[in-house]
Formats: sequence, C-alpha cells, structure tokens
Amino acid sequence: MVEIWRYRELIRNLTVVELKNRYQNTGLGFLWSLLSPLLLALVLYFVFRYLYSQEPNFAAYLLVGLMSWRFFAISTTAAVYAVVGKGSLVTKVYIPRMILVLSNTLSNLISSLFELVIIIPILFSVSGSLPATILLFPLVFLIYFWFVYGASLFLAALYVYFRDVNQIWEVLVTILFFLSPIFYPMSTIKGAMPVYLLNPITEFIIINRNLMIYGQIPTLYSLSIVCIASIASFLIGSFIFNRLQRRFAEEM
Amino acid sequence: MSAIVVKNISKRFKIPHSKRTTLFQNAIGLVKRQMTYEEFWALRDVNFELQRGETFGIIGRNGSGKSTLLGILARVLYPDGGLVTIDGKVASFLELGVGFQPELTAAENIYIYSSILGMNRRETGRIYDEILEFAELKRFEDMKLKSFSSGMYLRLAFSTAVHTDPDIMLVDEVLSVGDEAFKKKCMLKIRDFREQGKTIVFVSHALEVVKAICTRTMLLEGGKIISVGENERVINQYLSLMGQ
Repeated sequence: MVEIWRYRELIRNLTVVELKNRYQNTGLGFLWSLLSPLLLALVLYFVFRYLYSQEPNFAAYLLVGLMSWRFFAISTTAAVYAVVGKGSLVTKVYIPRMILVLSNTLSNLISSLFELVIIIPILFSVSGSLPATILLFPLVFLIYFWFVYGASLFLAALYVYFRDVNQIWEVLVTILFFLSPIFYPMSTIKGAMPVYLLNPITEFIIINRNLMIYGQIPTLYSLSIVCIASIASFLIGSFIFNRLQRRFAEEM
Repeated sequence: MSAIVVKNISKRFKIPHSKRTTLFQNAIGLVKRQMTYEEFWALRDVNFELQRGETFGIIGRNGSGKSTLLGILARVLYPDGGLVTIDGKVASFLELGVGFQPELTAAENIYIYSSILGMNRRETGRIYDEILEFAELKRFEDMKLKSFSSGMYLRLAFSTAVHTDPDIMLVDEVLSVGDEAFKKKCMLKIRDFREQGKTIVFVSHALEVVKAICTRTMLLEGGKIISVGENERVINQYLSLMGQ
C-alpha cells in the first residue's frame, strides 16, 4: 500500500492517458460516451414503459439503475485486459502491478462521474425536484469503487493465465444484467427475493435510487451489506492478484 | 557496502507439453489427467555480491540464463528459490521507452516515462530541460511521439531514463540499437555513471564493450555460474567454451 502511494504520479498519468485515449481520439468521443447510456435508457424506456407502468417515475428509475450498472459492467469488462494489454509495463520494468488495474477502475469511475453531469439535470426535469440525499451519493460510489476494483483485480490476473476469461466474463455480465433490477421493478421478483438479494450490485442500485430519487437514507443493514461485499471483493481480489502476479511476465 | 546480494537464486520455467491457455482446455486436461509439463531450470543456485560502484558484466551464450537473472534483479521475474537484496534505487533498461504513448507529445511522454521509473512531477520538472537537451530534441517537445523517427524515440527514452538518477542500473542488450553516434553517447554516459560511483549490471554479447567498461565479469552456462572475476580471464573462458 505504501509502495502504491509512492507511485501516485504513475497512477495519475495512466488514468489520464486512459481517459485521453477514450475521449480524445474520436471527434465525438466525449459526446458519444454520454449519449450511449442515454440512448440505451431511451430504448428501454419505450420498450418497458407500459409493462412496468406501476413504477412511478420509471425514467428516473431506469437512468440511475443503468448508470450504477454501467460502472461495474464497463470497468470489469475493460479490466480483463488491464494487465495483458500493457505488455512491456509488465515484462520489462518493475512497477506495483495493481496500479495497472487501479488506473483502469479510476478512469471508469471518472467516466461515470461525467455521466452524472448529464443525468442529474434529467433527473431534475423528470421528477421536478432533487432530494437532498443525493449529496450522500459520492460516499456510496466510494464503497462501490472497492467492490469493482476487487472484481477487476481478480479478472485481470486470471486472464493472464486463461485467455478465455474475457468470453466467459462477457456472458456472465449479460446474465448479471438480467439478474439485477435495472429495467424492471423489484416487485416483479417477489418470490425469489432471498436468493435474488445475494447479488451485491442489486443492493448498490437500490441504495443509489433511494439517494437520488426517493430521498431515503440507506438502512444500516443495506449499508453493512455493501461494505462487507466491497471489503471482501477487494481482499479476495488483491490476494489472488498478488499470488498470480509472480508469473505474469513469463505467462504473457 | 554491498549494492546487490544474490543468494541461492533459482528459477524454474514450466513448459507444458501441449499449450493450454484457456479455462476450458484446462478443465478438459484435468478430467483426462494430462497436466504434464517439462521443467526447465533457467537458473540454479546462483550466488554473487556486488559492491557499490562496480560495473559488472554478465556473459554467456543464448539461453544461459543471463536475461532471466537480469529479470529477477529488475523484479520483473519472481525467483522460485533464494533471496535478492538490493540497496538503492534501481533503473532497469531491459527495454527503452516502456509505456511510451504514441498519441501524446514528447513532453507528456517524458513525464509518463519518468513516473514509471518512480519519479514524481516535481522531480521530473527539475530534470526536464536536461533530458531534452541531452536527447537533442528541444525543438520537438510538442510533437506527438508517433511522428518521431526511431532514432529520436530512442534518444528521448535513453535520455529520460538516465536522468532519473538511479543508484543501480540494469542494462540489457538495449544499447546495441541505434546508430554509432548514439551508441557512443550511451557509452560516455555509462562511463559518467561509473565515475559517480553508481553500480551497473551489464548483460551483453559485445565482448569488447564488456572488456572496456566492466570491473568484473561473470560467465553463466546452463543457469550456473562458471566463473566470476577478471574480465580477460572470464572472456577467454567464454571463448573457449564457445569453441567446443
């Protein structure tokens, strides 16, 4: 940990490089990155609007769900390549390798915050007002960050050894998308509730909606669930990463 | 004061009989019980100690373990046995220009490359002008790296790396690239380093260069040390080994 702090300059640089590559190289890059979640939200809105008309303020419900989901999905999908894609930074020079994954998660976190810039005015316009609890949102995202980072560490390390992890993960992410309450109301899955809540992403999405739409502070119970999930994810992820990283250079 | 102490270092590579790179293939292999692989010891019980200020040459034929040893010293490879103790800031020159971004300018790349070598922004700022001057690239500082010629690219990389002020330099064959003028400049810089009392580990096939700059030389063969000592003697031993 101390060592990673010593390389904070590198973390900053790699994160900035990733953001620059994402946005700078296409003229409409930045705009597209904001438009694509909106377009997806729009499609889902028109498809499911009548089906789930019992959900008040369905548009806001969708937007917050999607934004929360996208941070996890996009970060982890990109994280698979965070080590293998860096080539000589792994095989030719010593740096704490967790940095490679950290900069990936950080740059995606920043992208999510950019999305907020457009989502918050929309939330305001569709619901007429914004709850004060929205100010607590950064705190929840900070907890969420460690959850995503842990999963990313695990995936990035595994991919060095097994080159089909990317395909397996893509399928799993798609399955998780349907297992999380993104575009349907929670009320539709009443029967399977206990099993369904095992998915920590569900808890994050619920908390985010409560903060950003309904003006409710998360219960102690759901806060402890997300905290435990995040700590566990980070500890397991970094443990596995540190064990597997010993042979990274020769396996690439 | 020892700069580098290497104790009983061993390194084993596993070479599977049939390459399995996917989870799927591994699962099948597990079921069929075909997890066989060949073991290859790239290094076996290597011991040596370097004093501060030494320029240490490592020679040996291809596959003798030179680069593996350098990789372990650079902490890129993890030894399967033994212990390495290094005292001081290490710069490894296993490759020049690691992490260079073609889409960014020379100036931005100087900052990125030096942060990879463990420098922070303020420290880099102090040596920034020197780097460009030594590389003779002041005019091109705002040019994107993708428009650089390979010579300019190397000059920028080498100049940045040597200006980060390491205590110990690990140098692989990198200096054999580039034109004569550039090589000469590199050699001068290495001599500079020697005079400043820095430790250099130098892996090379260029025996003349080894003879000229090293204070001691080590000969590796099959992952073991054959001899360590005075340049002339070790190099002759190497030549007779190759003659067999």
